[in-house]
Amino acid sequence: MTDLSSFSDAGLVDALLMEVAGMLGRLIERGETATVDLRGLPLSPACIADLESRLGHGEISVQLDAAGRSDIHETGFPGVWWTRHADEAGRPIALLIEVTTVPDILRADPADMADSLQRLAGATHFASHQHARHG
Amino acid sequence: MTLLDFARGIGLQAAVLIMIFGIFWRAAGVLLLRRRPQHASSRASLIGRIAGGATMIFSRSIPRRTFWRRIGVSVALSTVFHVGFLAIIFGGAPHILVIHQLTGLSWPNLPKGLVVIISGLTLTAMIALLIRRIAHPVTRLLSTADDYLTWLFVFLPVLTGILLSGETVAGYDTLLALHILSVELMMVWLPFGKLMHGLLVFASRGAMGFNFARKGAAT
Amino acid sequence: MDESETLGTVLKRRGFSRRSLLKFAIAMTSSLALPPSIAPLMAANLARAKRRSVIWLSFQECTGCLETLLRSSSPTIDSLIFDFISLDYQETLMAAAGTAAERTLREAVAANKGEYLLAIDGSIPTKDGGVYSLTGGRSNFDMLMEFATDAKAVLAIGTCAAYGGIPKAHPNPTGAVGVEDLVTNKPIVNIPGCPPVPEVLSGVLVHFVSFGKLPELDDRKRPLAYFGTTIHDQCYRRPFYDQGKFAKSFDDEGARQGWCLFELGCKGPVTHNACASLKWNGGTSFPIESGHGCIGCSEPDFWDKGSFYTSLAGGSSTGWRNAGIAAAVGIAGGAAAALSARRKPGAEPAGPDPEKPDPDKQP
Repeated sequence: MTDLSSFSDAGLVDALLMEVAGMLGRLIERGETATVDLRGLPLSPACIADLESRLGHGEISVQLDAAGRSDIHETGFPGVWWTRHADEAGRPIALLIEVTTVPDILRADPADMADSLQRLAGATHFASHQHARHG
Repeated sequence: MTLLDFARGIGLQAAVLIMIFGIFWRAAGVLLLRRRPQHASSRASLIGRIAGGATMIFSRSIPRRTFWRRIGVSVALSTVFHVGFLAIIFGGAPHILVIHQLTGLSWPNLPKGLVVIISGLTLTAMIALLIRRIAHPVTRLLSTADDYLTWLFVFLPVLTGILLSGETVAGYDTLLALHILSVELMMVWLPFGKLMHGLLVFASRGAMGFNFARKGAAT
Repeated sequence: MDESETLGTVLKRRGFSRRSLLKFAIAMTSSLALPPSIAPLMAANLARAKRRSVIWLSFQECTGCLETLLRSSSPTIDSLIFDFISLDYQETLMAAAGTAAERTLREAVAANKGEYLLAIDGSIPTKDGGVYSLTGGRSNFDMLMEFATDAKAVLAIGTCAAYGGIPKAHPNPTGAVGVEDLVTNKPIVNIPGCPPVPEVLSGVLVHFVSFGKLPELDDRKRPLAYFGTTIHDQCYRRPFYDQGKFAKSFDDEGARQGWCLFELGCKGPVTHNACASLKWNGGTSFPIESGHGCIGCSEPDFWDKGSFYTSLAGGSSTGWRNAGIAAAVGIAGGAAAALSARRKPGAEPAGPDPEKPDPDKQP
């Protein structure tokens, strides 16, 4: 069976890498972040695998469990991240190359932090002590 | 109803019926004309006469050597056009598919890339022939609206066909509708203009060869 | 549920962090073909937004569109969409029935006047006063015209609601039409398909809730992000089409090799939808991948375009009988012309008549 998915267009992968290089340049110069949505491009599975292997793995790997699993790793090029999001059923919902110092999704959200503060305060002995005293 | 629906539906049916009607009209109209009575006895047997007719259909396609220098180029261009046109129709996969859907017959197709190249050559030959027709004083004098319309109604299917195979200039459904409509236009025109030579040439050359063989002349 | 609650609050209560919301927004921007950089803005807008009321009226339909939107084997991030909207009325899903349901409808409309989204599935019969589809004795036509009046926008879900669909197929005995033929003074989004791809509805709703407006539409009022390309443009079997490798019959060698299904009637080249990229059942497959050509179910009048198995190159045949009649009429006409030509003087081709003596020759 002719396996179309094994066909990798080297030219397309090179062009993408050039674009990522340009984005990295702008990140360094102006602090501008950028993202490439790989699912919006006409890439075969082989192309994507080729791209991933050429970018390689860096020093950081993160597993995110938020409404399903996500895997984010810094590529062999610091500042360039490979992000794969899946839903609770494990189905892929996004595949991105992020050019940034740290992907936004890894940062704690202010609203989530405010919520943590509330819960943290409620979880300490001091608070339960207060509860006990005031009933 | 979209343009494509019309082209694939009523348009196709009407064009086919008009073409069939027209072809039989012309054929009957020609074959039933009175012929000169032949009083001399035949120099060839019946088979010989039929063979003469068949031979002349092909021998008349090759010009006599004395004329090659003068008409060689236009004959070459014309051959490229005719062979190319037939190769597209009978070698192109979608055309074989149409014939298969209508009659049940089918045969292997030519590779798509080859048909595209042939289409380009056919188109070029047609344009060159048109330029010659207009530039040469004799052909310009002799040409009528029939000639130019016939050229146009054959040119349009080849042009729209190339655009459709390249899926360029307009959306697929628009290109397909225009291509099918241009073919229908050609089909409707075919029996009533010079394009009918495509069928009559076999009758006229065949009849001439038949008579030549009868007289013992070379075919 | 407190009407003044924002989605952020609702999600927190359900155990979804803002991070989950950002992940959802990333998935949605990808689906809607929006720049991924917009995801944080979308997430922030969603958190601040109030749940949007959706009133869903089902008309002349098979319920396939609703089923397709609800089917999921496990709860996924897509189900979040039902947190972003408040589905205030839907006859198949709601517990209330009869007069209680009617009261629910009126209360929902009154509470959200001018702000609710009206979702319609099924076509609207118009013949004989629309008597062919009634809800509680009221015709679909009356209900549509009444409830469209106070809606913010109308979503025509499925090919029946968008263009008339199967009830409209020849001879259309009930006079079925799509929403856009009746509603002319409200923004309409058509989400055609038989059934439509579920992600399209999620995308449209999320876009509306995040940005307060409908996504960009094409000239058939379909979201460009999902209907901007044809199946043919995105089909994984396209290289076979380009090479001229076609399956000639179902389950022949070409079909087993996964070759193009053009000759088996695939309407992919003239059908706009997202099936080839988004696929069905959570990205499992789509008709062509399963070996059957596209039937063009998201295009108007697809039921009346001839056989699903006649290729786009072919069309309807005249039949041998009609061809024979045309030939016979032609022969008759040609014969008449030839006979009248034969009768004219000088009908014989020129040449010496052996009966008449040649005056220039000596006998």
